[in-house]
Amino acid sequence: MTDVLTRDLVVVPGTARTKDEAIREAGELLVSAGAVTPAYVEAMAERERSMSTYMGSFLAIPHGTDESKGQIVRSALCLIRYDEPIEWGPDKPVRVVVGIAGVGDEHLTILSKIALVFADPEQAARVLEVKDADELYQLISSVNEA
Amino acid sequence: MSASAAAVPTVRRGKSAQVRVQRFGAFLTSMIMPNLPAFLAWGLITTLFIAAGWTPNGILGGFGNADAMSWQGAATALAQAKDGTTFHQYVGLVGPMITYLLPLLIANAGGRIVYKDRGAVVASIVAVGMIVGSTVPMFLGAMIVGPASAWVMKKIDSIWAGKIRPGFEMLVDMFSAGIAGAAMAVGAFFLFAPVITSVSKALGHVVDAMASHQLLPLMSLIVEPAKVLFLNNAIGNGVLVPLGAQQVTQHGQSLLFLVEANPGPGFGILLAYTLLGVGVAKSSAPGAIIIQFFGGIHEVYFPFVLMKPMLIIAAILGGATGVATNVVFGSGLRGPAAPGSIIAVLAATPRGSYLGVILSVVLSAAVSFVVAAVILRAQRRRDLELGESGDLSAAIAQTEANKGKSSSALGSLSGAATAGAAGSTLVGTRPIHSIIFACDAGMGSSAMGASILRDKLRKAGLSDISVVNKAVANLEDGADIVISQSELTDRARRHAPTSRHLSVDNFLASPVYDDVVTEAKAAAATAGDRSAS
Repeated sequence: MTDVLTRDLVVVPGTARTKDEAIREAGELLVSAGAVTPAYVEAMAERERSMSTYMGSFLAIPHGTDESKGQIVRSALCLIRYDEPIEWGPDKPVRVVVGIAGVGDEHLTILSKIALVFADPEQAARVLEVKDADELYQLISSVNEA
Repeated sequence: MSASAAAVPTVRRGKSAQVRVQRFGAFLTSMIMPNLPAFLAWGLITTLFIAAGWTPNGILGGFGNADAMSWQGAATALAQAKDGTTFHQYVGLVGPMITYLLPLLIANAGGRIVYKDRGAVVASIVAVGMIVGSTVPMFLGAMIVGPASAWVMKKIDSIWAGKIRPGFEMLVDMFSAGIAGAAMAVGAFFLFAPVITSVSKALGHVVDAMASHQLLPLMSLIVEPAKVLFLNNAIGNGVLVPLGAQQVTQHGQSLLFLVEANPGPGFGILLAYTLLGVGVAKSSAPGAIIIQFFGGIHEVYFPFVLMKPMLIIAAILGGATGVATNVVFGSGLRGPAAPGSIIAVLAATPRGSYLGVILSVVLSAAVSFVVAAVILRAQRRRDLELGESGDLSAAIAQTEANKGKSSSALGSLSGAATAGAAGSTLVGTRPIHSIIFACDAGMGSSAMGASILRDKLRKAGLSDISVVNKAVANLEDGADIVISQSELTDRARRHAPTSRHLSVDNFLASPVYDDVVTEAKAAAATAGDRSAS
C-alpha cells in the first residue's frame, strides 16, 4: 500500500461517541501524521456543518473545504472503525469514518478501493466485523492488490 | 458523427433542434442571471441622477459642467455646449456602467462558463475591443464574443496541452492568453463591432420605412427585439424621435414618441415574473418594476426577456397593442418622453390625448402580461427545477434512496424530470462520452462516486467513457452528464448549463448509476448499429 494510508492511520475501535468527536479524532490522526495543519481540522468541522459527508452504508468521509486545501501538507487518509454506531444525523448511523486530506490525485486510488468495498454489501459487512486494526488494514490492502 | 446524424429520422431531428434551443436559452440565462444586481444598480443610479431623474445630479449623472461646479478631481470629458463652446463635463456613473461595466460583466460570465477563469479573462479583453469599436452599447456583441473568444482560447490551449516543458506552464499560459486576447480584441474592434453597428443602423432604416407606409403596429416587430438588445436609444433617439418631431410640426403631436417609450410592455412582463417567476428572477422583478415603470429605465427588464427569449413575443404583442390603440384614438405625445417613465409620458401628453395615451399604456401592459404569464406558466415546472433546490428531482432521488433500489416507475419519472430540467431528453440514443461527478471540495464523495460508476461501466464493457470528479466551483461546461448531490445540483447547473444533470442522494448505492449504465449501453449499441449500416 502507498504512504497515503499507512498502518498507524488505521484505528479499531475508535473512541469517539459523537459526530463532532469523530471528526476531531480523524482530524487529529491526520495532524499527528504530519499530513495537515490543525486549521484543517477546523475546516473539516466547518465543511460538515454546511453539508454532511455521510455516504450511506455506515460510512462517513469527513474532509475539509475546497478553500482549506492550502492546509494540506501531503495527501493522506485515515480509517477508523467504531464498535457502536455514531449518529451522523437522523437515521444516519456511521461505524466507519474515513478522514480525507487530498491534494491532487494521490489519494484517489485508495479512496476508490474503499468506495468499491462499501458499494459491495458483502465486503462492507466484513469491514464492520473486523477484530482489530491489523485485520482492517489487511482487508483494505488485499482489495488494493486485487 | 455527421454520418450518424444523417441517419437520424426527422422526428428526432426536430426534437434535438428543440433541445438545442433550450440549451441555448439556459446558456443565455447563465450569462445574464449572475449580473442582474449590476443591471438593477445601474437602473437605480440612472433613475435617480440623470438630468430627467428624480434627483438630478450633474456630477453622478454625468451632465454637469465641471468648470462651473465645486467637485474637482472626478473624471471629465470635453463636451460641446449649445452655443458651440466646449466645457469639461463630468463622466458620471451612468454612461460608463452601461457602456463598459454591463457588457464586460456579460462577456466575463459567458467566457467563464466556456473556459473558467481563463475564459472569463480573455472574454473581457476581447469585449473591450467590441465596446470601443462601436458607438452603440455592446450587449449583443458581448454575448457573442464573450463565449466565442473563450472557446477559441480553449482550442488554442489544447494545441500544446501536455507538451510544455515542466516549469514553463505558467509562462506559456500567461503569454498565450495575453497574445490571443490582444489579437482578438483588435479583431473585434475592426471586424465585429462594425457588423453589430450596421445591424443597428439597418433596423433603424426598416422602422423608418414602416412609419412612412402606415404599418405602424408592425413596427413593434422590429422595435421590441431591438430594444432588448439595448438598441433602444439607437432606435428611439436615432429614428423615432426625429420622425416624431417632424410629425409634431404638422399635427402638433405624434404617436412615434410612444412606440419605444411606452412603459406598458415591460411592465406587463415584469409583473408576470413577479407573480409567476422563479428564484432570483421572481424576487428581483418587483424592484425592477419601480425602476422601469416610474423611473423609465426600460433596460432593467431586458435581461428578463434575454433569459427567456420566448418572452419577446409578449413584448411585441404588447407594443403593437399600444401603437394600435394610439392609431385608433388618434392620440400621441407632443414631445419625446425620455426616459420612458409613466410620469414623463403623461407630462408629454397633450390635453386631448390623455384617454388614448393612458389606454395605450394600460392595454399594452395587459396584453404583454397575459402573453408573458402564459409562457412563464407553461415553463414553470421546468424552471422550478432549474431554479429551486426543494425540487421534484431531489424529492424523487430522496424517495429512491430510501427505497434503496430504483423502482422503474420512479426511475423513469426522475429521468423525465431531470432531463426536462436540463433541457434535454433521457433517450438512450445520445452517445455519452464524458461524465463528471461534482461535490463541494472535489476530494471525497465525488471521487468515491466516480470510482463506483467507473467500475460499473468497466464491467459493462464501456471503459471508453471518461468519468472524472471535480469540485463544483471548478466545474466546466461541456460534459454530457454531471452527477452531484441533490443539494449541489443547482450550483452545478449554473457552472455547466448545457450538461445534463442528475442528482444522487447516496453516492455508494444510488440507483442513478444503474440507469446511467443502461443508458450508456443503449447509446453505444445504437451508435454501433448506425456506424455498421
